Amino acid sequence: MIEPIALQSTLETVRFWAIVLCLGLGVFFTLVSTVGVLRLPDIYARAHTASQTDTLGAGFALAGVALAFGWQHAAVYTVLLLFFVFITNPTAAHAIARSAAESDVEPVLAEEGEADDAEVAAETEGETR
Amino acid sequence: MAAERVLVPLSDTVTVRQTVAYAVQSGLETADSLECHLVIALPYDVDLPEGKRMSDGAEELLERAENWVEEDADGADVTIETAVLGTDEYLFGPRDYAEIFRAYADDHGIDRLVLDPEYSPGVTASMLQPLERELDRVGMSYDEAPVERAARHGRLVLSHTGFDRLFATFWISFGFYLVLGDPFYWFDLLTGAAVAGIVSVSLAHVTFSMPLDRVQSPLRAVRFVFYIPYLLWEIVKANIAVSAVILRPSMPIEPTLTRVNARVRSGLPLLALANSITLTPGTLTVRANDQQLLVHTLIPSAREDLFDGGLEKAIRFVFYGRESAAIPSPNERDDAEIVGGDEL
Amino acid sequence: MTPVPLEDVFLAAAALFVVLAIVLFYRAVVGPTTQDRLLAVNVLGTNTVVILALLAAGLDQSWFLDVALIYALLNFLMSIAISKFTVDRGGVL
Repeated sequence: MIEPIALQSTLETVRFWAIVLCLGLGVFFTLVSTVGVLRLPDIYARAHTASQTDTLGAGFALAGVALAFGWQHAAVYTVLLLFFVFITNPTAAHAIARSAAESDVEPVLAEEGEADDAEVAAETEGETR
Repeated sequence: MAAERVLVPLSDTVTVRQTVAYAVQSGLETADSLECHLVIALPYDVDLPEGKRMSDGAEELLERAENWVEEDADGADVTIETAVLGTDEYLFGPRDYAEIFRAYADDHGIDRLVLDPEYSPGVTASMLQPLERELDRVGMSYDEAPVERAARHGRLVLSHTGFDRLFATFWISFGFYLVLGDPFYWFDLLTGAAVAGIVSVSLAHVTFSMPLDRVQSPLRAVRFVFYIPYLLWEIVKANIAVSAVILRPSMPIEPTLTRVNARVRSGLPLLALANSITLTPGTLTVRANDQQLLVHTLIPSAREDLFDGGLEKAIRFVFYGRESAAIPSPNERDDAEIVGGDEL
Repeated sequence: MTPVPLEDVFLAAAALFVVLAIVLFYRAVVGPTTQDRLLAVNVLGTNTVVILALLAAGLDQSWFLDVALIYALLNFLMSIAISKFTVDRGGVL
């Protein structure tokens, strides 16, 4: 009599921690992406890290939501939502980058051969502060 | 008097017949003997299933065109030379075509080219304007044949491909509707069918950019499903690499602009490739023109991954099948380079 | 047994996302270029979609997901429209 309940409770615990892990990773990658959007030197570099929010940030968070809903219609919805984000956001990022290129926004590029990290970092500090 | 020599690139269009007629007629106006060089330039993707059909079609088209020339010459002194170009080299964009025409013209002492206004080698969209620009660049004089264009979408009869499109659009939109609604509720089934009917009738002709194939298209969808885990794995790897760089206090980024010539066709395959590249953190497609991608890369490892062409191979696998996936990486075939900021 | 109710985990995660979204406002306000602002707003929009989904799970209101779907669509359209608008020729896509 006791066995099924114990099993169910273990499953519940596993599911709980799986959800916490997913949400934690989602928050982590969104945090990284936010830091990147604030720190990186120019629009092109920022667009890279914006795609982190779109992919793993949203991906893990929505996976957590799907786990919580379980085998319900809403879980299908969540997958659909993620699929939609995956298709539209790179297109939007491409449009933004291209519009920057068309309006002659100069990219900050590392010099070929001698990548001066300190200088790039210094520039960033100057711009974001 | 020296014979007039004229080069006519052919492709299977509605105006190719008129182009040949114009070439013969205008050539005979200025000289009484004409040497007519009919050439077909095969695009780079002859190794694809569609490509095989194309190279078979090339021979057939050349034979037909020879008959047209003889018909138009009407007993005048016309010699015909035919050639298939591009079999032993990769032809990509308009520049490659212009150069191969120039080389052929130099070899045979031709100084005039007659261009079909609808000229489109292979399956890519019409490339008249870029080709004209490139011909100007290599210094090749050309004439655009004056043709009367037939209305291209004038068919009212529901053809074979038309039905396929209608069918596919209907089931895709019906499926989407049912995913959003409840697939077991009669009201949703009924309204879904009605909406899908309206959508497929009104939008079917703009939904697909390339012709559907009853075997290949479903196969592509299946292969795309296999592609998704691979893409996710690439995304996870790139995310970790980029996160490590951003969170380091010194932030050792090395932004570069690179140009990659992708060996996938314009349209949906190119869109899928460009979007996959953008979706992977560390690489961002800034421009995509004629299979030429301008990619901004943030860190060296992302750039190396891009130059190794893993995503490109995967996209070729999705759209063209397993055999086509095994091509040299952009790095090996010299299609990837780092460019300066003024390329934007 | 779980240490805290699952609903609270979702609400806490949503709160963290809201904080990150507020931080993103910095880039949206400072710019410097229009595209920087647009990018920040785009990322903010993706955050909003995620927040809506988290609230759907946390408050057990699955219809919030409909709102999230529509918001994702609007977010995409906004990015495309403004990118097109910032270029004179409008030939972005």
